Amino acid sequence: MAAADATVITVTDVGIRFRRNRRSRRNFKDLFAGRGRRSRPSEFWALREVSFSVQSGESIGVVGRNGQGKSTLLKLVAEVILPDEGAVRVDEGVAPLIEITGGFVAALSVRETVYLTAGLHGMSRAEIGARFDEIIAFAEIGDFLDTPYKHLSSGMKVRIAFAVISRLEEPIILVDEVLAVGDKAFREKCYRRIEELLAGGRTLFFVSHNERDLRRFCTRGLYLDGGKLVLDAPIEEVLERYARDTAL
Amino acid sequence: MTQPQRPARSPAHRYRNALWLLTLRDLRVRYSTSFFGYFWSILDPLVMAGIYWFVFTQVFARPVGNEPYIVFLLCALLPWMWFNGAVSDSTRAFLREAKLIRSTKIPRTIWVNQLVLLKGIEFFASIPVLIAFAIATGATMHWEALLFPLGIALQVVLTIGVGLIVAPLVVFFRDLERAVKLALRFLFYASPIIYGLPDLAPLGLEQLAAFNPLSGIFSLYRAAFFPEQLEWFAVAVSAGMSVLILAVGVLVFRRTERAVLKEI
Repeated sequence: MAAADATVITVTDVGIRFRRNRRSRRNFKDLFAGRGRRSRPSEFWALREVSFSVQSGESIGVVGRNGQGKSTLLKLVAEVILPDEGAVRVDEGVAPLIEITGGFVAALSVRETVYLTAGLHGMSRAEIGARFDEIIAFAEIGDFLDTPYKHLSSGMKVRIAFAVISRLEEPIILVDEVLAVGDKAFREKCYRRIEELLAGGRTLFFVSHNERDLRRFCTRGLYLDGGKLVLDAPIEEVLERYARDTAL
Repeated sequence: MTQPQRPARSPAHRYRNALWLLTLRDLRVRYSTSFFGYFWSILDPLVMAGIYWFVFTQVFARPVGNEPYIVFLLCALLPWMWFNGAVSDSTRAFLREAKLIRSTKIPRTIWVNQLVLLKGIEFFASIPVLIAFAIATGATMHWEALLFPLGIALQVVLTIGVGLIVAPLVVFFRDLERAVKLALRFLFYASPIIYGLPDLAPLGLEQLAAFNPLSGIFSLYRAAFFPEQLEWFAVAVSAGMSVLILAVGVLVFRRTERAVLKEI
């Protein structure tokens, strides 16, 4: 177990660029040029020169307007995309609540889906077996265990996904605005679960537009604007600055 | 602060576990959605073998291959189905799994390796068909059957190599998907499947054909029933080519991975 003040996420001078236009032509030279090549006019930097580190047990809210790189930052921390500059170091396991319903297979039953998803995130069969009932109870899906995934409502799908990922027991949790779906009662249940995890000493990385949620979970805020990390401060301060910047 | 700590599992263990889960997933999907399941994976090579058997033993006086021709055919046709299936599916590997790739952190080579494993399992499942025909036609097995695992090992190396090249490049150049299909069809006739490597000797193409890595691999498989089909020169070239292709594949994959993740 890491000491309480151990650094778990280190982001150093990270930059990532995307193509402005999906249809702009690619050539082989570009593709193989590696990290060193210069940026071209058809590209833009979604994030650049972003540096920060996160201690174990911290809860961080990422704030910024649409398209300022919040979700990209979260994906970099989840290591599902790789930076063009700088380095991202994540020292502990991550439970990513990103695009959680993605990758489910329509023909598989709920039971198979739970085993597959948890397994791909690194749980062993025995661990899943021990938590299975808990996961099903949380998702309130007990009556549909053998129903093919495709016949479930979209709310049910989100419930299963959240129930599985939040039971991963990983020390770091990443939450993208996934909880916007689902009814109010379930959302509240999810939030209580996140609080429970926080109380258990987990590290949280939270992306949201909702000020109330950010205040509820986070102690520290990262404010992204124009692909830069503009402010890294206590959440109240960050929200204040954000409100000031976005006021008309 | 009590934080239940899961026993740390090595990345290699996690990788193997994920590989197995994905393969199981695909097998399960196949068997839960189709009534004939297993039957389909052997029906395709059987129909093909039936057609070639008819054309080359009944219609034409056949100057190629060995007797019994059906066994001669299946020895190369079944592994060809493996190669063909894995390579043509790897053109869609990243596009098909895009959502999963965007949300789970597993080394990305798994999307190619999983296909090679899946098609490999189907290949193993079809071997009883070969044995059944060998028994029915009274073909004799020779000690060279022990070379079968070597053929499998080379084919795994080759197929993973080709998959690692094809899978990421298709993400950027969609035309490549059709180009690969065409190349595979060409390769079917350019490889010793309906004929044997020795049949090319009168044409003077034997040396050239050895540079098709599949030639050496198929000659290893065939040697089980037809020792005269075994050509060590072709096997050596094929081993070298397979390793080279794998090295190129790993390089291409590493170089393009960053861009692939942004694109999907």
